[in-house]
Amino acid sequence: MLLFTKHLKLSAIAVAGLALCAHAAQAPQRIDIKQLSKTVEDVVVPLPNEIFGALNKLGAVNWKEHVRTDKGASFTERPRIALLLGTVIADGFVAVQAEDAPAVKEIGQKVLTLAKGIGVGNSITPHAKAITEAADKRDWESVRQELDRTQNSVQQAMNEVHDEKLSQLVSLGGWLRGTEVLTSVVTKHFSPDGAELLHQPDLLSYFQTRLERMPEYKVPILHEIQEALVDVKPLIDVGNRPIPRESVKKINDITTRLGNGIVTRD
Amino acid sequence: MTPFGKILFGQVILLAMLGLFRLTAFASVDDAQTFALQAAEPYVKQGFQVREDYWGGDLGSGEKKAVRQQLFKGNEYWFWLGTEVERAKISVHIYDSDGKLAEDPDGWEKGHFAAAHVIPKTTGSYFIIVSVEDSPEERTHWALVYGFR
Repeated sequence: MLLFTKHLKLSAIAVAGLALCAHAAQAPQRIDIKQLSKTVEDVVVPLPNEIFGALNKLGAVNWKEHVRTDKGASFTERPRIALLLGTVIADGFVAVQAEDAPAVKEIGQKVLTLAKGIGVGNSITPHAKAITEAADKRDWESVRQELDRTQNSVQQAMNEVHDEKLSQLVSLGGWLRGTEVLTSVVTKHFSPDGAELLHQPDLLSYFQTRLERMPEYKVPILHEIQEALVDVKPLIDVGNRPIPRESVKKINDITTRLGNGIVTRD
Repeated sequence: MTPFGKILFGQVILLAMLGLFRLTAFASVDDAQTFALQAAEPYVKQGFQVREDYWGGDLGSGEKKAVRQQLFKGNEYWFWLGTEVERAKISVHIYDSDGKLAEDPDGWEKGHFAAAHVIPKTTGSYFIIVSVEDSPEERTHWALVYGFR
């Protein structure tokens, strides 16, 4: 292990050296995006903290008022657990922003319980332990990293057993909770730059397409989300125009309603 | 060598060959990811958070792949591309949704590593174009990771 670490460090130094002496060849100034349509890979769904980081740069945010640790209902339906799991991981990122150690630890345990409920608990146990340890040390960077690893491990475990749809629901739950918090912050302290962070039409289309491919999940909340995304689409798919305050408020109302639906029983 | 010894020796050789085949056939995108992460390592010290998620696949010489990615104004991003094929030449570039080159000029490429840097002027979809410019292999595995701060 020590040898490996030494090797990795040496490699990293070598790569850093490469970066200093290497330059990119001239890339074309413009490409035809339409020609790429057949070779485009799926989006990687951004983590909530990617959006929260950008939001932080626009001004101080009182993250404590967005921390949520209530236990919520417990579910047996796997799609509902997956959605809730994504939401709870997003709550973890909010708690990290607020630097709220007890909340982070509580959320870490909740993630573990939900992961067990969906049959992927084994892959999460070491991460839940690491989250608790890092929260005790108030090492927020490590908590962030472990939350990312947690989501990744959950989704990899699901993909390995061909539960890709559940994996997508974890991403959707996280995105909805992240959007709920983002719109709540921007509604309270509106700025055009804050509202611009909602400009995510391709991501929304990605989720719409995925939901359309899940007819086998007869879960009312999924239909509710599907219908709500149709309402959200025109509010964020505005091209080069700014997203107005009223739209931000509307999206917050919608995502708050969906968020309540995800954590409570039908 | 006894007949039994010969059979045993043959089986050991066969198993070793199968093991080698498995390594080359299945471990390569993971290997490519290891190299992409190696390229990212120095940037972590500069405060970049490297995502656990990544894209990967294989391309022939001269082939390109586009990856669509949501970027947020206010953040700064690096994308790192790696392959396990040491003599391959790869590149990565960033374009906005109109197809206009959006990256900063400090991107770099060196053999089986390449990187591109962007501070997005607007929030929205961007295209990350990965390319195997040249490679001694028929198909070259690649992996792309990204980090932000």
